[in-house]
Amino acid sequence: MNIFIIAFAFLASLISFLLPSQKVVRRIGGIFAAVNFAAVLILVWPYLSGAQRVFDGGWWLIDSFSALMLLLVSFLYLAAALVSNRYLKHEHEEGIISDKKVKLYFSLLHLFALSMLVVLLANNTLLLWIALEMTTLSSVFLVGFYKQKSSIEAAWKYVIICSTGITLGLIGILFFSYGAGLASGGLATIFSLSALIAQAATIPAAIAKIAFVFIFVGFGVKVGLVPMYSWLPDAHSKAPSPISAFFSGILLNVALYVIIRFQVLTNAVIGNSQWTTTLFLVFGLASVLLPVFMMITQKNYKRLLAYSSIEHMGLILLALSVPPLGIIAAIIHMIGHTLAKSSLFFGAGEILIAYKTTSIDKVRNLFKNIPRTGLLFVLGILVIIGLPPTALFISEYTMFAALIKAHLGIALLVFAALSAIAFAMLRLTIMMTLPDSSAPVMPKEKWNITHVVMISEIILVVLLSFWISSPSGMNFINSIARNLI
Amino acid sequence: MILNQIFATILQTILILLLAPFAVGLTRFLKARFQGRRGPSPFLPYFALATMFRREMVISKSTSWVFRAAPFVVFASSLALALMLPLVFRFGIFGSLGDFLVISGIVMLGSIFLVFGGMDAASAFGGMGSSREMTLAALSETSLILIFATLSFVNKSFQVDNLFGAQSVVAHPYLLLSMFAFVLISLAENARYPVDNPATHLELTMVHEAMTIEYSGRYLALLEYASALKLTAFLILIANFLFPALSSANLSLVGILLALLFTILKVSVLCAVLAFFESVFVKMRFYRMNEYLSLAFFVALFGLIVTLSVIGLNFDYATIWAALAIFFVVFLFGRVRLNSILRYYALSSIAIAGMAYNLALSSEPTEALHLWIFAGITIAIKVILVPLIIRTAERRQKLTANLQSFLRPASSYFLAIILLLVIYCALHRSAVEGIIAWSNMIYVAVVLSVLGLATMIVHRNVFSQIIGLFIVENGIAVFILATVKSLPLLLELGIFAVVALSAVILSILSSQIREQYGSTDTENLRNLTE
Repeated sequence: MNIFIIAFAFLASLISFLLPSQKVVRRIGGIFAAVNFAAVLILVWPYLSGAQRVFDGGWWLIDSFSALMLLLVSFLYLAAALVSNRYLKHEHEEGIISDKKVKLYFSLLHLFALSMLVVLLANNTLLLWIALEMTTLSSVFLVGFYKQKSSIEAAWKYVIICSTGITLGLIGILFFSYGAGLASGGLATIFSLSALIAQAATIPAAIAKIAFVFIFVGFGVKVGLVPMYSWLPDAHSKAPSPISAFFSGILLNVALYVIIRFQVLTNAVIGNSQWTTTLFLVFGLASVLLPVFMMITQKNYKRLLAYSSIEHMGLILLALSVPPLGIIAAIIHMIGHTLAKSSLFFGAGEILIAYKTTSIDKVRNLFKNIPRTGLLFVLGILVIIGLPPTALFISEYTMFAALIKAHLGIALLVFAALSAIAFAMLRLTIMMTLPDSSAPVMPKEKWNITHVVMISEIILVVLLSFWISSPSGMNFINSIARNLI
Repeated sequence: MILNQIFATILQTILILLLAPFAVGLTRFLKARFQGRRGPSPFLPYFALATMFRREMVISKSTSWVFRAAPFVVFASSLALALMLPLVFRFGIFGSLGDFLVISGIVMLGSIFLVFGGMDAASAFGGMGSSREMTLAALSETSLILIFATLSFVNKSFQVDNLFGAQSVVAHPYLLLSMFAFVLISLAENARYPVDNPATHLELTMVHEAMTIEYSGRYLALLEYASALKLTAFLILIANFLFPALSSANLSLVGILLALLFTILKVSVLCAVLAFFESVFVKMRFYRMNEYLSLAFFVALFGLIVTLSVIGLNFDYATIWAALAIFFVVFLFGRVRLNSILRYYALSSIAIAGMAYNLALSSEPTEALHLWIFAGITIAIKVILVPLIIRTAERRQKLTANLQSFLRPASSYFLAIILLLVIYCALHRSAVEGIIAWSNMIYVAVVLSVLGLATMIVHRNVFSQIIGLFIVENGIAVFILATVKSLPLLLELGIFAVVALSAVILSILSSQIREQYGSTDTENLRNLTE
């Protein structure tokens, strides 16, 4: 099944590139993504429902954690493909982009999704590395899509910083293989993630530590952790909005997934999780604190959302630093953040289409001009700052429960930071809704596919909070968390 | 024995004295031929010198005794070289005086008096030439001492007789580095291309000719003769690196004759090489002299380091490849022209392929096959394909290929050396901690990664950043060799494919940057800063 998924996505990319008509390419993009979603669902259902625990077939590895991430990727892939259809149609009609660029966009979009799926499926560490590097290479031209000064600059920063980071991560992967090779040797086992965990006891702890530092710092660049985040706000604010949603919603999670996989391995080698969680705590705290200062004075709503992504990655790291309860919080947070943040970026795309600017100062009268997008955007903001009843509220609540017990001072600091961020986001959003007589009056907004996607995501986040509180939901999250301890 | 030594020294000195004008004449003659002219007879300098000795001298009234003493001191210093160096015979009567510091001192003495003579007449050109000569001398003398120090370490002796006498290059191939540095220094010392043009009196460029411009008649003849002697001595010394002089003891008459003929042959061949070199290369601007001489200095220093580590530690060819891989990247670090940066990147990649090849020789068959494939693909992709892609991107943009750097070349080299030392200490420390055993390859891997990152930071051009990224990647390739030796074939191909793909994507992006910004300076990429 996974071969089919990979081949299909590759085929989709190829077809999108070769088809003559941009209209067809746009429309079948959604179909491709839907087929992919169905295939992934069939593939991962046994692992999610608990029927099967783990699939370890040499090159491939699927357990309930990667199954969940696979599902999120293909869901967001579907959402992004649907929204891209409308978004690019509009851009094409405005004459901003040519036929060729539309085809390139969809071709790269399929390739980008494909490489993320391979990262999640891979058991071979080198294959995983290649796929992770491919996520960067395939999305460079999506970031620099508009060929303006600023978007080229963002693409440049993105590819140089991320490639360097991922290249450093390779050193960490090789260190693990070297450590395993000291005892057993043999090319078959030292590059296999599951085999490495099985023979964790033979890897020297000192090597595992230095390897994990390389992996954490290297792939942490891709997660956008402070202080390696500098590419992130630029890339998120300059990419087309569906791509921003894809980036923020799932790319960061995928990179974090890799780090978590190796964290599990490192913990198995060292024998406890003390060492890795300290690392997570420090970087997580920094990633929550720095965005506070950037968000309070923010003038660009897409950058505001980008900094919010950094903050949420920090929160997930903080949650992971207080196992075992924190791991449950982290998983819920990953799901919630994927849904909520992508919905916000889709909304930002609609605002951008309507107002043709990303500056907060120039967006006024949101409710009057584009009432549907405005309402959903504000709802999304409320979700992302963690108001109940949403999944993000539950995850943050759980995280604080664990964090207060472990580190009271840090918990209070994080609490203050989150309050400041909530204030900043609300203040800026309310400014966008303020009436302003000088603002241009826009044609009446029609209901479109973006709104469908946004509202379904927001409803999903809310419903999820109820389901997770129920016994079956608890069981589900627990079964995933068991893989990460 | 004593008689024999004295005889040998006399014979050598006479031969050098006779040969010197011929060497200069032959070089001029061959150079003319290479450039398609007929050229004067190679024996012309004899007549020129004889004529000058008979000419009347014109000496400015404003000169002092220094002006009149200088030609004699300069000539004496050159003559001393002919007397003391092992040019035709080893162990001449003055051989035991020939400590290498003494020789360097004698060379320096000649230069200093030439400078005094140039300044004494207080003419504008003399002073200018003198100031230039001192700049060059100050930069080249250190390298000369480094080269001698390397040789003395190999031969365990301070006597120049032993340094150049023994045939050490074959036994110690890394001495080729010192030899290369010595060639560079010899060109500078003898005022040849690319440092000085011996054929013109152009006020903007001349160095040696500017200092002798106030001299005439006999004194000028002495100075010209001295410089011819010095050139001959240096040419023979270079040749003696490969074909050392014979010992003067117990030589038959035929042996002596052969030695003399052989010396003439050496001088002729090297004159031809020099003439060819001067026809192919151009003179460098004086302000680029620091690059040229720092190149000589670092080659000499590197030769010394390699020598020390090879003789002090265990010696194998892997060390040489490792050293070369680092060496070329250090060079690259100080360069500003894209072409030379790409060249050094390719050379460094060749060294990495060499490391893989070397490892393959000592591995079991299946692994050896992997390593051979690794070496082959490395050459195909990193030596040929990646530079080609980047060059194409550059050509298409019609770029003047100067890449801005925050540091001047000299400070770049300084930074690189500091980094090398710091990494060396850090790795030895970590070897003590027991994380990973010290080996040359690990050192290369870390050095390449760090220098690659430093290139990305120090150079402010998109192309330099691309190359920096690839140097980091090279470091990791070496790291693969050092830790797990070989990867599964399919994945190895995958990683190489990623490298090639990155090159394509980065060059497309760089041309887009060029389109949008009109330059490739990364200083311009500062719009997004909120």
